[in-house]
Amino acid sequence: MSDKLIAKLAVLSDAAKYDASCASGTAGKRQAKKGDKGIGSLTGGTGICHSFTPDGRCISLLKILMTNYCIYDCHYCINRISSDVKRARFSVQEVVDLTINFYKRNYIEGLFLSSGIIQSPDYTMESMVRIAKALRLEHGFRGYIHLKTIPNAAVELQNEAGLYADRLSINVELPTQAGLNKYAPEKDLLAIDGAMASMKEKIDEHKNSTTYTGKRLPRFSPGGQSTQMIIGADGSNDKTILTSSVNLYDQHKLRRVYYSAFSPIDHASQLLPLKPAPLIREHRLYQADWLLRFYDFKLDEILQGANGDMLDMQHDPKLAWALSNRQLFPVDLNRADQHLLLRVPGIGARTVQKILTIRRHGQLRWADLVKLRLPLQKIKPFISVVDYSPSAKLLETDQLSARMAQPSQMQLFGGMV
Amino acid sequence: MKTISITTVPGFDEWRAAARVALAENLHPSQLLWRTPDCPQNDLFTGGSDQLIVRPPTASAIRQQVKVPPAFMSLCEAALCHRDSGRFEICYRILWRLLHENRELLNHKTDSDVIKATALAKAVRRDAYKISAFLRFRKTECRGQEHFVAWYEPEHYSLELKLDFFKTRFKNMCWSILTPYRAAHWNTEVLRLEDNPEPLIYPEQDEVESYWLSYYENTFNPARLKVKAMQSQMPKKYWHNLPEARLIKGLIRDAEPRARAMLDKAEGGD
Repeated sequence: MSDKLIAKLAVLSDAAKYDASCASGTAGKRQAKKGDKGIGSLTGGTGICHSFTPDGRCISLLKILMTNYCIYDCHYCINRISSDVKRARFSVQEVVDLTINFYKRNYIEGLFLSSGIIQSPDYTMESMVRIAKALRLEHGFRGYIHLKTIPNAAVELQNEAGLYADRLSINVELPTQAGLNKYAPEKDLLAIDGAMASMKEKIDEHKNSTTYTGKRLPRFSPGGQSTQMIIGADGSNDKTILTSSVNLYDQHKLRRVYYSAFSPIDHASQLLPLKPAPLIREHRLYQADWLLRFYDFKLDEILQGANGDMLDMQHDPKLAWALSNRQLFPVDLNRADQHLLLRVPGIGARTVQKILTIRRHGQLRWADLVKLRLPLQKIKPFISVVDYSPSAKLLETDQLSARMAQPSQMQLFGGMV
Repeated sequence: MKTISITTVPGFDEWRAAARVALAENLHPSQLLWRTPDCPQNDLFTGGSDQLIVRPPTASAIRQQVKVPPAFMSLCEAALCHRDSGRFEICYRILWRLLHENRELLNHKTDSDVIKATALAKAVRRDAYKISAFLRFRKTECRGQEHFVAWYEPEHYSLELKLDFFKTRFKNMCWSILTPYRAAHWNTEVLRLEDNPEPLIYPEQDEVESYWLSYYENTFNPARLKVKAMQSQMPKKYWHNLPEARLIKGLIRDAEPRARAMLDKAEGGD
């Protein structure tokens, strides 16, 4: 290792940080077998967060670009060809060594490798696959590998990548072709869609089929695929963004859609908005995404609580939905079914499970809610138990929504705009 | 009144052996006084009580083994790693109540004993998780071989819960994990535990650490400072053993000027 390598690492980690996906998702359990010389394991749960940076994001993976040279000109991207950012390129061996050395010191769960496009999509993708292959075959690496595949690369390369990676992803970046045309002229939504579809097919095939001798096929991207959308760079509203997410979850069975509030970059293109997107918007989109995936919400229900096509920034989307469906409340915690319990603002999925367990043995009283440490002020207007029900006024008053509103979050540069 | 002295930490095995004997003698929780190595002041109250004699179980005792729900054992495994000196008493009380009062006790999520024990277990599991997250190895050499050493200060006796994790993940590495109360040494085949280890074998530095610091610095985005979000996951109490934590102050200080400079440059039509 050398000073030159540190300088490269600085450039290529700085260039990779705009990808929001930090997580090493679940990809089953894995460990070095008896007698072999491998290193690493997957614990079966979500990956460990090994550190946190002051932007509140976790460090789980070594998130780097193989190179930030790029022949594309995507305006939101710091690495576009027209940017005058410093360039660097790792060799295959350098990435492998960094990953193993970081892993051995328990800094990371694995590698998240992305890249600018050099020479051609195929050439780039092939080098990335070589890195993953070397980690797996030469070093017996059992940690996590996430590869960002290159949209227009040959399908054979993508298929090979899936044999070594735990997760593959392609970034949608912007939810509409019009947005892409303006900001990422080389990107084609249909091509991205096609790549995701073929990836889904391959994942299904390896999960479900066997060879003619009855053997299971090797694992293919067992952690599935994910993507990212940039929020606030183009004019897409929340409805457009979430509609696109719902399609991605339904059609291509994506594990995660990440939302990344457009944040000012060095060497910015003049086409970009000057103002960073508010982080609260990104947060609200994640909350809505969560409701869609784990709380049985439908998109049009979430939009009921929205202001037109934009999510309510004052209230979280579940609360906003509740405020526009007041006739359903108060919910009797001793009688309501799971579906309805999940809709009570301030009551999460785990609390719902606890409530259902308790109900098998007795009735819930107010004192129990205190013991469960529920956010009483928040749930008060929406629930009833044996010895408590809210006064009708509490739900009806216009002040309810004001009382529930979060104090507006301090934004960086709040004073300037 | 009978006294039971637990002499090791965390003390799970000793507790289980003693609890078996106490149950066999039909001793109500209120008749027992648990003494722990980390809480000598219990001595004040032990005057006049007998020591409970804990012998290895006889064959007939094994036949009459008490059956408890598996959830109770995993609750105890975690809760008994807590530093709270009341941990043995509360776990025995729940055991007693499971057998004499209600087999379903653990499902009563609002029962005070269940709440207390669950809180102990939760604190321990979080503490144990943080070991697997925040422990940092440094490389040194031992008899011509690579050897990785870490120094870590867990809040509870949670190291034991994570030994399998480290044995699996770093199976083919020689490593030592030192904590103030115990060390674990792994030579790729055998795990050896050592009480009250000598912290001095922790290496002063590691050549890869500067790469890690550079990575930490550069993966941080100064335009989205969220110090509270960071601290809720990585509170200051962990910082003194994290090499990267010494960068935090400077990164926070420079974040706003850096982000502002980017915006000014963009506005200037750079």
